[in-house]
Amino acid sequence: MTGEWIRNGVAIDDGFAEAFPMKATRVIVTAHNAEWARHAAMAATGFATSVIACGCEAGIERDLAPHETPDGRPGQSLLFFAMSGKELTKQLERRIGQCVLTCPTTAAFAGIAEGEPVALGKNLRFFGDGWQISKVINGIRYWRIPVMDGEFVVQETTAVVKAVGGGNLLLLARDTDAALAVAEAAVLAMRKLPNVIMPFPGGVVRSGSKVGSKYAALSASTNDAFCPSLQGLVQRSELTPETRCVLEIVIDGLTEADVGEAMRVGMEAGIAFGSSGGLLRIAAGNYGGKLGPYHFHLRKLLGGGVQ
Amino acid sequence: MSGWLLKLKQAPVLRVDMRGITPAALAELRAEQVERLPLTYGNSIVPLAEFFSVEAGSQEGLMFEGDLSRFDRIGWQMSGGRLRVEGSAGDCAGGCMTGGELHINGHAGLLAACEMAGGLLRINGDVGDFAASTLPGSMDGMRGGRLIVDGNAGHRLADRMRRGTVLVSGDAGDFVASRMVAGTVALGGRAGEHLGYAMRRGSVVLAAGGGVNSGAAEISSTFMPAGADAVVFWQLLARDLAQHGGPFEALPRRRIERHLGDRGVGGKGELIFVD
Repeated sequence: MTGEWIRNGVAIDDGFAEAFPMKATRVIVTAHNAEWARHAAMAATGFATSVIACGCEAGIERDLAPHETPDGRPGQSLLFFAMSGKELTKQLERRIGQCVLTCPTTAAFAGIAEGEPVALGKNLRFFGDGWQISKVINGIRYWRIPVMDGEFVVQETTAVVKAVGGGNLLLLARDTDAALAVAEAAVLAMRKLPNVIMPFPGGVVRSGSKVGSKYAALSASTNDAFCPSLQGLVQRSELTPETRCVLEIVIDGLTEADVGEAMRVGMEAGIAFGSSGGLLRIAAGNYGGKLGPYHFHLRKLLGGGVQ
Repeated sequence: MSGWLLKLKQAPVLRVDMRGITPAALAELRAEQVERLPLTYGNSIVPLAEFFSVEAGSQEGLMFEGDLSRFDRIGWQMSGGRLRVEGSAGDCAGGCMTGGELHINGHAGLLAACEMAGGLLRINGDVGDFAASTLPGSMDGMRGGRLIVDGNAGHRLADRMRRGTVLVSGDAGDFVASRMVAGTVALGGRAGEHLGYAMRRGSVVLAAGGGVNSGAAEISSTFMPAGADAVVFWQLLARDLAQHGGPFEALPRRRIERHLGDRGVGGKGELIFVD
């Protein structure tokens, strides 16, 4: 940390978050009512916190009102991110097949028009055992698959676009209550933005990781420099004694600008809490800038220059 | 050069084949070249100027003025641009077209939009038999694009149709959507006998209202009432059709009854009656 940069008592690091290119798509899930759309959305985006072991990172972008959906029913906008288009296609097929096709009254549509088309319902159609029907409406192909509550309508393909994953904020707080309150407020503010998701539970992750491990089999391990329980034990801790809880918010977005804006809004929400609310410092995770092409400098996002 | 205006001098005695006269083909030509374009007239070849005066048009594309009821294959294999006929057209108008817009401000003869694969064909008047169907001997009819008829259609509308959309605001003759493979036909008025005869898949929308008992069409015994609603599908289709206004404008707000078949051929098509 070079030079003090304090906002409402909160120290802003002169550091940056390092993010990576990913592949992403948006899927619109609709249902008979908002509750069932949400059931499907929760299931489809479940167990999708990190590409390390989940295959993809996914989340609910926002609720959709009936007038915003292709079929005039309540819906959910979902974003899926993976490290490759191939992996994303695999995850989509599994998740739409097991979580949306199975959920009563739902339908699934592409939420992005421009991009490389990948299968959405293209392979799921075979569940119809020959009774499935293709329908092209205004140049878009849909599949109608008979199911026990009527039919599952799913668009044949969705578009995959380049995206940015791994934007992050580290919120260093006085205690657990303060850290949770700040993180919740930041996530709440960031969820109002389009094109981004915070894929971890509640949008927040407590097990921030560093690259590598003492165990050869592991590619990542606990971020010991930010573990308050290791303060004074590890060779180089980032924490001061008054910092007793650190939480991280990870952001995936469709563009670099979307991720940057989400980080800015999250930081502003934290700064609004201030040191009186228990937030002491905002930092970000990076790998020295050598691995990811996208660098989000915290101070720059807040309107300051990089030192 | 923005476009061409071709005015009919006088109606020919025999039929004239207009294939090759498309907006793209004429776009780069000079007036004298356009006048010399060959047209098949009966069993002889005559220059275009025999029938039309050639002028620079005020609009993009190609415009014909006059009653072209004896001129067949207008817009044949057209792939782009705009072609407008201020008057009626002969047979096979828009046949095999793959793109662009063909607008006939009058009636069209037999086989309009036959084997059409893309683009838009709009006919303000009536259309003859076998619209959106196959060329004689062919297995597949219309396979893409949109045919919009503001008047009535003849018999065998959309015979063997495979893809695309046909909207007829008025009535249609017998055997609508016979042997249909897929696609959408929407009628604002009544259909004649044998609606959906031997259809395999596809959707026929009867938008007149009043449901199955409205008299808009007789349902063959080889069709059966659908056991489930198709709410999502209907909204997708109805919203697409509604943009054409007229009898289709209110479709997304209307309830439907579906009948499935033709079971005589193991078909999974649907007749959609709007309440």
